[in-house]
Amino acid sequence: MKVDVMDGVPVQIRPNATAAAVHPAHGKVCVKAFGLIQKTNNPNRIKTPMIRTNPNKGRDEDPQFRGATWDEALELICGKLNQAKAKGLMDESGFPRVAASFGGGGTSTVYMGTFPAFLKAWGAIDMSFGSGQGVKCYHSEHLYGEFWHRAFTVSPDTPLVEMIISFGANVEASGGVCGVRRHADARDRGAKRVQVEPHLSITGACSAEWLPIRPKTDPAFMFALLHVLLHEAERDRLDVPFLKDRSSSPYLVAPNGFYLRDPDSQKPLIWDLKSGAAVPFDTKGTDPAIEGDYSVSGLEVGPDDIEWRHDGITCQPAFAHLVEHVQPYSPAWAAEICDVPEEMIRKTALDYLHHAHVGETIEINGKEMPFRPVAISLGKTVSNGWGGFECAWARTLMAVLIGGLEVPGGTLGTTVRLNRPADNRWSSVVPGPDGFMNYPMNPTKKGQFRETSPSRHAHQTLIPLAANSPWSQALGPTHLAWMAQKEEFENLPKPTQPDVWFVYRTNPVISFWDTGAVADVIANFPFTVCFAYTHDETNHMADVLLPECTDLEGLQLIRVGGSKYVEQFWEHQGFALRDPAAKPMGEARDFTWIATQLAKGTGLLAEYNQGINKGAAGVRFFGEGYDFSLDPEQEHSVETVWDHACKAASAELTKGVESQGLDYFREHGFRTIPFPKERWYLYPAMVEKGLRFELPYQERLLRIGQELGERLHEIGITWWDRQLKEYEAMPHYQDLPQMWKDAQERQYDVKIGDYPFWLLTARSMQYSWGGNAGIQMIHEVAANVAGHGGVVMNPQAAAKLGLSEGDEVDVYSPTGSTRGAVILRHGIRPDTLLMIGQFDHWKTPFAKDLKTPSMNSLTPMSLELTDATGSGADLVRVAVRKIGDAA
Amino acid sequence: MTTYGIVADLNRCIGCQTCTSACKHANATAPGIQWRKVLDFETGEFPIVNRAFVPVGCMHCEEPSCRDVCPTRATRKRDDGIVTIDYDVCIGCAYCAVSCPYQARSRVDKPSAAYGGKAMRHEALREEPARLGVAQKCTLCVDRIDEGRANGLVPGVDAVATPACVASCISGALQMGDLDDPDSNVSQLLRTKRHFRMHEELGNGPNTYYLYDSETSDVAEPEEVPYVAEPVGLAAVSPKLQTNWDWRAAANFTFGGTGTGLMVAAAATTMPGPTLWLGMFLALAFVGTGLTCIWFEIGRPWRFLNVFLNPRTSWMSREAMAAVPFFGFGGLGWLLGSNLLLILSALSGLAFLYSQARILRAAKGIPAWRHPAIVPLVISTGLTEGAGALAILSLVIGAEIIRFGALALAALLLLRLWFWTRYRSGLAHDGAPTGVFAAFNAGHIGLAAMPQTILITIAVIAVVIPAGQGEALALAGLGAMLTGWDFKHTLITRAAFNQGYAINKMPARGAGQSRAGIKPGWHKA
Repeated sequence: MKVDVMDGVPVQIRPNATAAAVHPAHGKVCVKAFGLIQKTNNPNRIKTPMIRTNPNKGRDEDPQFRGATWDEALELICGKLNQAKAKGLMDESGFPRVAASFGGGGTSTVYMGTFPAFLKAWGAIDMSFGSGQGVKCYHSEHLYGEFWHRAFTVSPDTPLVEMIISFGANVEASGGVCGVRRHADARDRGAKRVQVEPHLSITGACSAEWLPIRPKTDPAFMFALLHVLLHEAERDRLDVPFLKDRSSSPYLVAPNGFYLRDPDSQKPLIWDLKSGAAVPFDTKGTDPAIEGDYSVSGLEVGPDDIEWRHDGITCQPAFAHLVEHVQPYSPAWAAEICDVPEEMIRKTALDYLHHAHVGETIEINGKEMPFRPVAISLGKTVSNGWGGFECAWARTLMAVLIGGLEVPGGTLGTTVRLNRPADNRWSSVVPGPDGFMNYPMNPTKKGQFRETSPSRHAHQTLIPLAANSPWSQALGPTHLAWMAQKEEFENLPKPTQPDVWFVYRTNPVISFWDTGAVADVIANFPFTVCFAYTHDETNHMADVLLPECTDLEGLQLIRVGGSKYVEQFWEHQGFALRDPAAKPMGEARDFTWIATQLAKGTGLLAEYNQGINKGAAGVRFFGEGYDFSLDPEQEHSVETVWDHACKAASAELTKGVESQGLDYFREHGFRTIPFPKERWYLYPAMVEKGLRFELPYQERLLRIGQELGERLHEIGITWWDRQLKEYEAMPHYQDLPQMWKDAQERQYDVKIGDYPFWLLTARSMQYSWGGNAGIQMIHEVAANVAGHGGVVMNPQAAAKLGLSEGDEVDVYSPTGSTRGAVILRHGIRPDTLLMIGQFDHWKTPFAKDLKTPSMNSLTPMSLELTDATGSGADLVRVAVRKIGDAA
Repeated sequence: MTTYGIVADLNRCIGCQTCTSACKHANATAPGIQWRKVLDFETGEFPIVNRAFVPVGCMHCEEPSCRDVCPTRATRKRDDGIVTIDYDVCIGCAYCAVSCPYQARSRVDKPSAAYGGKAMRHEALREEPARLGVAQKCTLCVDRIDEGRANGLVPGVDAVATPACVASCISGALQMGDLDDPDSNVSQLLRTKRHFRMHEELGNGPNTYYLYDSETSDVAEPEEVPYVAEPVGLAAVSPKLQTNWDWRAAANFTFGGTGTGLMVAAAATTMPGPTLWLGMFLALAFVGTGLTCIWFEIGRPWRFLNVFLNPRTSWMSREAMAAVPFFGFGGLGWLLGSNLLLILSALSGLAFLYSQARILRAAKGIPAWRHPAIVPLVISTGLTEGAGALAILSLVIGAEIIRFGALALAALLLLRLWFWTRYRSGLAHDGAPTGVFAAFNAGHIGLAAMPQTILITIAVIAVVIPAGQGEALALAGLGAMLTGWDFKHTLITRAAFNQGYAINKMPARGAGQSRAGIKPGWHKA
């Protein structure tokens, strides 16, 4: 984007038309960016470091912050850090003494300059205190998506897609400008999107059809789609060659549920229709059977390498098991559960099949590839918490059945986070066991199992799929870290508080669940450092506030393009410079300067500089034929650091030929090279390496689930037993709404009948990830979009309660209550309420006066409602009463 | 020729408000002022519901009603179709604001800061004092267009020469270009997509087109948009009570009508009887009071003489011009004791009264005002109020006009009642915002049949029964005047709902179907 500056003051944001040729959204910027002018010039900004003088912390305590110099603030922080280091990086429970929480699904790193290099130089950091992860993200999709097709985030191939079935995915609000433009283009060329969601969201509004499904019954709908494809459509309408060659469909399943294997090579066996014999899956020239009964012999390997020998038993391929598995899940069955007409479910499935173009191909950059322009998208509450596995499995399987996974038009992964290398999906396709891709599971085998984790939420102990990358901690059960501070989990290390907690671009007292409980925990932390823009609910408990440059004041080089996340898959890749448009307000400092001072103050300057050189700030400073490394022993200015980064970026993009630095980027803004479009698709890499997608049958998950259970029981952990049931070879339908009701009744000893509504939330494009609840202009323009600022309710439901538009109501769950005005809309189920965004502020200037309700204070942190991947869902039963009415 | 226009593809629009924000940035509009914004419509009932987003702003109409009514010629239409406002000429009367059926205009009288108190740095730097107290609206970023064209760029194609809203639109929904050029981007879109214009029936010829389906889809041509009298959750797009003209404007219509009516009545009494100089004086005072009230309402009162600049099309200019001889002849006549001047003043008063009626008739943004039946109603009530005032005056000064006056008052009351009935049935037949009917039904005495019948009866009694004739006539006159005032106050401040917004067709989204639109908050018998 571009910024107009008058007399040194940023006054106007503009799209950057010069980026139109490389940017999928033609250089346009999102509405949130227009809030940056007020954000920068906001009179409520914290303009100088501040130190707390009131040792008592809590919502009702005045922190009595006093202004301080940077020297004083840094000395205080570095003193605490050095004390922690002197005691050892890990505390008596084996947890890092320093913790950090960042917001916005990784977006913080593009604003925090070289701070990641400081964290790397420091060593162990606990990132388990979540600010919304596991409930505000696509948690199950992250883990299972990455497992099945290197898809930490998943997207339709929107530029080519013909039909999307969207289960609550609100891409028009959360897909960024690229998503918005691409979906608009798709609609313009006549693509069909069916939105399956309890309320008519922005995305629902922009869809061809809206099917108002009962909350949290999406797996039933999706299982019925599978049923139609497998039981009501002719088999040859599926992509049978894809199933045979690119999936686990032909693998024979032995009686205990594990693959039947060749005793010598231990490779899974398939039935070869040509030779009429069982052969290892990778035997050349076979015609694998995917259905039928076959008399076979072989070896079955269970958990902890337990073996069974089978002779002359009858086995079926995995696909045949799938067919049998989904047989009960007919549209008629699902209609009852989902409250969606049976015919609509069937029609949706058949439309999907019709648009799949099975058998057709398309040429991408000279490569012929399958063309399957259909996809399924999942929203957050759909892919989080119980049911997330079912939905992620069914969605990915729907793609596999028509050969539409990772091919043009179909369902794509758009980034990797847990596998390596993280910047190249093709290279992350590494052969693993049984013809599938490798996956860096946290080990479950005896002797390798990690009984403790270097985090306060036990992610390596409880969640094999969370793996062990820098992102893994964020993908653990982050609410467990908060819960453990109140109540110990049996047989996990004693929960401790971090000696020092850093907070940046996040406000968990507003954005997590059961926000009252989170506030109580934070109030007890001994030393909290918040990089602070204005006062807010979390930094109200802080010991030190550090004012950093806002988006328009800080300098940073940012990697753009390639295939990055959700709809961010471009035909170009490169770097863009965030060049300061204004001098910092007051004493605000560039984050890179702050990181350097912290490194210096903790004696880590050399390690910090080396971290920067190795790429901790987004680009490696050296490569083949070039080396722009910083002298590790010297302190470098902000401009020097980013000048070197710019030179390295130029060299990386030109393979060492050019090395223009900061001046070049300041003049041009960005620099890109083409990103080959074929690399959007994993399919060519899978074919090249002869690999299969690990669907439909989850033998590996079945095994590690059983092993995990053994290991946990060995150390006396039985409270995770419910989660172990998720490790199924193929998921069975569970009554999720009832599960939620039962859990709420048990946890709070209430009658669920007293809480007749489901409460949901939805993303607001104007607010989400913007940190802009305190920006007047955003509030003003967001008010044009119905639903903001109140409790969205169906008129029929409201009439039964005697409520009218604008009535102030108290919405409450056993966890808490929130207040707002009734907003009547027909586009919501009568059994459902909606609160858009995350509010309920009581400290943030401007936002605290909005009186906008938020569901976060009503959603319980519940072990019972935590799934095997460690996530919960934004879903809670609530009641409504008019303010003024007797309780 | 060039005619710049906007084409908004409702299939593409997601209501993100990026255009709203970009416009606020480009034009540094005050907090709460949005020259461009995107509306959020919903139709149907659960579970069959549709939702659509509609960008609105100044439509840069072919025949802009704002231009025609402007008494100062501050609002003009350029050769390229852009409707502009000269902030240095505008008097801030807000007549254009109530005459725009698209609610595109606003007036800000004082500087305001987003966070209250002192302006932020960027707000202070971009303050535009010239824009205070005058009408403001979307300029189509005319400066960008002019500068772009001067540099050989094509508006709508080259981003820097394109309005900020269009240049920022992330979904590609907003396009701008030359409607007269068959090869322009907008002309091509209009050839390939079905489209409508909002409130087309009002005849402004808005140069903003909404695309709602492909040309090849099998859909019926737009029919009349379905009215929904009491829509749920659509307050933001339904007609709202205008706030541009308040009691001060109502006072101008009230006192202006009564004063001119009184002048006419006073002149009429000179035929059979003596000249009522006190009545004449009061008539001048009434009208003067009304005009003083309106002077306090306009945003730039010291520019009031600009009101005379557009007699060619503006009834407000004509009203002002009629006021000049009204006061001139009236004042001189009073001073010189000339019946002829009195009659000339009364004729000017008739012109003034007629202009007032036509002011309302031309206010296209307010359905209760623009109805054709408003003209005879406003004239008749002015004359009736004047006759009523004279009747009261007669009692006070003991003038002998009773039998003739009572007869005339009864006739005027009857005539007014008839025009009122015609007006009400016309509104019901043609349709109006639901709030208009509610306002007229909401317990005001007004011009309803029952009180008016009583007044007519009293007047008739004054004609036929000798005892207490003067008192009866004065009573009828007081009633005639007060009910007229009550009606006009209600008309200007309580029944003055604006046009609101409508969507003729809910757009086809992708492979979906377009469906019936909605005109929320409107009722028709």
